[in-house]
Amino acid sequence: MDDRIRKLELTAARIRRNVLDICRQRGGYAAQGVALADIASVLYFDEMRADGNGWFHDRFVLSNGHDAIMTYGALAESGHYKMEDLRTINEDGGWVDQSPIEGQLGFEITAGSLGQGPSQSAGLAWALRHRGSDARVYCLFSDGELQEGNVWEGVMFAAHQKLSNLCYIVDNNDMQASGHASNVMNVEPVHDKFAAFGLHSIRISGTDIAELIDAFAQARSVTDKPSVLICDTRLWDGIDCLQEALPMAHYTAKTAVDWDAGLAEIGSVIAALEGVVG
Amino acid sequence: MTTLTQLEAADFINRSFKPLPRAYGDALVEAALGDQRIVTLCADLVPPTETDRFRDELPERFHNVGIAEANMIGLAGGMARSGEIPFCHSFCAFITKRVLDQITMQAAYPNLPVKIVGFLPGIATLLGVSHQAIEDIAIMRAVPNMAIFEPSGPEYHAAMVQLALEWDGPAYLRMKRPETTPTAFTPMPLEIGKGVVRREGTDITIISAGLCVHESLNAAELLSQKGIESRVIDMASIKPIDVDLIIESAIKTKAVITAENHSVIGGLGSAVAEVLMDEGIGIPFKRIGIQDQFCEGGTTPYLMRKFGIDADAITRAATAVIQRKKSK
Ligand SMILES: Cc1ncc(C[n+]2csc(CCOP(=O)(O)OP(=O)(O)O)c2C)c(N)n1
Ligand SMILES: [Mg+2]
Repeated sequence: MDDRIRKLELTAARIRRNVLDICRQRGGYAAQGVALADIASVLYFDEMRADGNGWFHDRFVLSNGHDAIMTYGALAESGHYKMEDLRTINEDGGWVDQSPIEGQLGFEITAGSLGQGPSQSAGLAWALRHRGSDARVYCLFSDGELQEGNVWEGVMFAAHQKLSNLCYIVDNNDMQASGHASNVMNVEPVHDKFAAFGLHSIRISGTDIAELIDAFAQARSVTDKPSVLICDTRLWDGIDCLQEALPMAHYTAKTAVDWDAGLAEIGSVIAALEGVVG
Repeated sequence: MTTLTQLEAADFINRSFKPLPRAYGDALVEAALGDQRIVTLCADLVPPTETDRFRDELPERFHNVGIAEANMIGLAGGMARSGEIPFCHSFCAFITKRVLDQITMQAAYPNLPVKIVGFLPGIATLLGVSHQAIEDIAIMRAVPNMAIFEPSGPEYHAAMVQLALEWDGPAYLRMKRPETTPTAFTPMPLEIGKGVVRREGTDITIISAGLCVHESLNAAELLSQKGIESRVIDMASIKPIDVDLIIESAIKTKAVITAENHSVIGGLGSAVAEVLMDEGIGIPFKRIGIQDQFCEGGTTPYLMRKFGIDADAITRAATAVIQRKKSK
């Protein structure tokens, strides 16, 4: 178990490095990508089952387009994307989009208009069950999206249909475009809200690998309702110097932070973990 | 130069990382200082919709409702029923397409003064299909009681607030935040239902709005070098449209093209075509706009070129239409 955890920690650190490497080119949603690296590591490298054809048997739906940076960082680590391609993100005429469209590897739906993933993943989970598939559906959305009524309509359907093959993951980072969600439009108590809607609700930090492994296992063991992992991440989690420099960065402009400092910090984390992992 | 707050620095639309002028936001604050009924609502996009000054200076009349556009329109409808004049803000895509039923039932049918203000018009965004509004004018034009105004540049942003207030019912403002500090320019007065002649010419009329006005003026320069003189109209009042000016121009120049940062279906070009057909004016005519297709993210000049709504595309279309006029 210890080795499994260390390996996933190393993968998470490398995802963080990839995120910085991509975002330093033209700016981007670096703070979210960094904070979601542990979730991505466990989801893509431990939890979701392979299909035997180089892709996944289970399905991942990204609801808020801008967290695509997490998927890019992870799928660069798995070898599905090349870093030199990802560094072209948002170039005019390029194919690597900051808010990706369906058809691009790793993206089931065209997100970007917030709050539409929970319904689509509930539809997907229902249809998979209806067709006798044992594939599970994971859907990541953000606390800002919880402000859209559409989210709760999807959640209500998922609970009503007892979609135990569906696992929602909420990036509950208390941040949205115009500041802390708790100041803009409070969404708490998130755990109680999901529980009241009939979901198996698990609240974790979202940045602890062992805790994430446990939470996903717990969600899998629930057979009569969908689950939700509420992850209390903070922007830049895992890279202290950037968290100190720009704690409120919904978007990080190219010139807003010292990318080299961030890369140096995560570089030493990677080196230390490489020393431990065989 | 003022310094940016942490949040403004993280503004995901202003990638220049410098404070930008906010002529619209300033005009809204000034109007609100003189009219207690003006209330501002915003769905989590405060600097991107220039409402930060309103938030800071008139906090008791400002609501950031979170990412809840449908709720915002409902709240505005309720406020307007009690005598307020709510200005609602988001991106064009979300404040029209996502909440159309709320707009029709809670603002347009009761004919309430709910002002719907969108930024990121047409294709002008890096954020791609989800954030692009290439059908918003078509949709909003079909809603009874709704007026639509679009400025051709930041110099007309202040006038947008005025037009919205002069219109008694619901109005849609299709705004574009400046990307750089605009050069000094004295705007011509705008009026509801009136187009503005920005250049005179007798060979062809180019009717456009928004970002395409500048492109049309550039096209007129290029055409002038080839001996073609264009009348260029800024149709900032897309609805109600300036029927008289369209007819007069069509009769005078005997060739019309339209240019817009919107689908060719249902927008300004369609509106002009409707006027011409209703009047039985059959002259060479061409609509320039997005050709019934979804687009992609990119810088605005790149997208305008790629999707054929820049000065070159307008020049080509004008040349072809002039050809048709000659062979008639
Ligand atoms: C329907 C809709 N409304 C508004 C926006 C504009 N927008 C993009 S990101 C964002 C903030 C999102 O909050 P959250 O996802 O919690 O942000 P994060 O924590 O990732 O910074 C907003 C309002 C949008 N993309 N879609
Ligand atoms: Mg958030």
